[in-house]
Amino acid sequence: MAADASALPAPRHGWLRALPKPFVRSPLAIASCAVVAAWIAIALLAPVLVGSPLAQDIAGRLAPPSSAHWFGTDPLGRDILNRVVYGARISIPVGLAAVGLAVVLGTMIGSVAGATGRAVDETLMRLTDLMLAFPTVILAMIISAALGAGIRNAVIAIMVAWWPTYARFARGLVLSARDREYVEAARALGASPVRVFMRHILVNIISPIVILGTLDVGRAILTFASLSFLGLGPPPQIAEWGSMIAAGRDYLDQWWIATFPGLAILTLVVALNVVGDSLRDTLDPRLRGE
Amino acid sequence: MNLQGYIVRRVCMLPLMVVGITLLTFVLSHAVPADPVSANLGDQAAANPAVVAAFRHQWGLDRPLPEQYLIYVWNLVRGNMGISISTHQPVLIDLREHTPATIELALAAMFLSLIIGIPLGILAAVRRDTVMDQLGRGVSLIGVSIPVFWLGIVALFIFYARLGWAPSAGEISPRLPLPPFVTGFVVVDALLAGQRAVALDALAHLALPAIVLSSASIGVITRMMRGSMLDVLGEDYVRTARSKGLPARRVTLRHVARNALLPVITVIALSFGGLLSGAVVTETVFAWPGLGSYAFQSASSLDFPAIMGVGIVVAVVYVLMNLLSDVGYAAADPRVRMG
Repeated sequence: MAADASALPAPRHGWLRALPKPFVRSPLAIASCAVVAAWIAIALLAPVLVGSPLAQDIAGRLAPPSSAHWFGTDPLGRDILNRVVYGARISIPVGLAAVGLAVVLGTMIGSVAGATGRAVDETLMRLTDLMLAFPTVILAMIISAALGAGIRNAVIAIMVAWWPTYARFARGLVLSARDREYVEAARALGASPVRVFMRHILVNIISPIVILGTLDVGRAILTFASLSFLGLGPPPQIAEWGSMIAAGRDYLDQWWIATFPGLAILTLVVALNVVGDSLRDTLDPRLRGE
Repeated sequence: MNLQGYIVRRVCMLPLMVVGITLLTFVLSHAVPADPVSANLGDQAAANPAVVAAFRHQWGLDRPLPEQYLIYVWNLVRGNMGISISTHQPVLIDLREHTPATIELALAAMFLSLIIGIPLGILAAVRRDTVMDQLGRGVSLIGVSIPVFWLGIVALFIFYARLGWAPSAGEISPRLPLPPFVTGFVVVDALLAGQRAVALDALAHLALPAIVLSSASIGVITRMMRGSMLDVLGEDYVRTARSKGLPARRVTLRHVARNALLPVITVIALSFGGLLSGAVVTETVFAWPGLGSYAFQSASSLDFPAIMGVGIVVAVVYVLMNLLSDVGYAAADPRVRMG
């Protein structure tokens, strides 16, 4: 959140060029990028890096960390390192998908509200207020409990709980873009309302929305892990960080069961949050300090 | 607009919000493919059509959805929130049993977040770019990034299993009797009943879950307070106060911190909602007998009346907190009322 003068508003089309400056100055941001990149690489290369997350060694169950099992083994004798590595293959795509879907849905609803105005706007925004009255985890819990446990339903739950934030944000942006001269000009030239919206309004509001979304990927991964911890995620045999931590709850003395998946979540989410903050500071000073 | 008018208008919005909340919880829990019959009857009973029909009739599940909703709201107006399908108790009684424990936990966590987050935010802003600032930013970053359920397990492992400083999970030691129910807050009830030992025991049980639960809101409040302080520090009246020769400490506390607190009020109210969410997972880790444990138990058995009851209580608490914060904000800052 270094509010230094170098982080001036980026030129509209050259925003990629503005990227390096504050990043280069902040070692923390660079380190965080490296951590995120490392996690993505780990997720992609999991089958090459480690053995099966399902292979059991019943004789060696609950073994503490050793040279054979760096992170120890779980109550079923499965290697925790393997499972932590494979867990990245679930958490990262889930975080991206949940936020992506919420951004798309929220932008659609918010844009419709902002572009049409009056009754439709009023109805949609009251609905948004209502949804925002529910704390995320409780809403997501109701939804994924109702739809049944599973990865897909957890993603749907997060999407349903989160779209209102983006809808509000998108509506505000549409309202401020609607009366700009270039939009007026497009209208005067006879462009259809749909074309005006798609070609002249949407392209100009999408980048702050995407940035806001990027900031939330870490939070989405945390929320998904919470749902999974509560038993509303994938079935237990699947290597997933939240459910691995839940399995460690009953084995307090075997600290390694819960500790390593927790550290995995922590490192990834901290890094994502730092990258998100730096991105925000660099690309869109309007969002700073929220 | 004067303050009374503002409050009256906001309070009038409240019943509308509550109707909306009931509608939303109802739609959410009914317009889904899940079948409460199979979730609540055993496999054998669910195979018997007569049992299933009786079950559906008993809970109004055989009527059209709008009618089910009207039945629900009519009952709600009379204080009848239905009977929990899984505990076979009236939901209102279940909620009355579980809500105080959650509020107690959330208030304790909120208290900790305020006494840590606000001073930390002030110090971080005043000593900007020093070790203090880095510490403040570090705390807020970790606070918003750490999985609260994992922190709970790690805390239990270190402070209960290894060091033995903290008592086991739960609201009170099993050997002690619960004090008579007055407020539902065990610590307060024990003090009211004059049982000091019980109150201390309950307080010891409260400490660890409250610290764990406060982690996220400490982060949010520290961060917000720091940002808000930095905004105010650049104001003209702060320079004026300094140029008058006022001591730095006085300027910081009287001129900057007081004004910087205003936007933080809103965040405090919002993070109370976050605390209620966090309470769900924290309660399951610490076997805390609150709404979170109840919500989890009812959600996993598709107990509609109970789910709707929890949803309503939580949303109403949240809306009330928002109302309080908006009114507090308007009372503290006349500029808001004018706008």
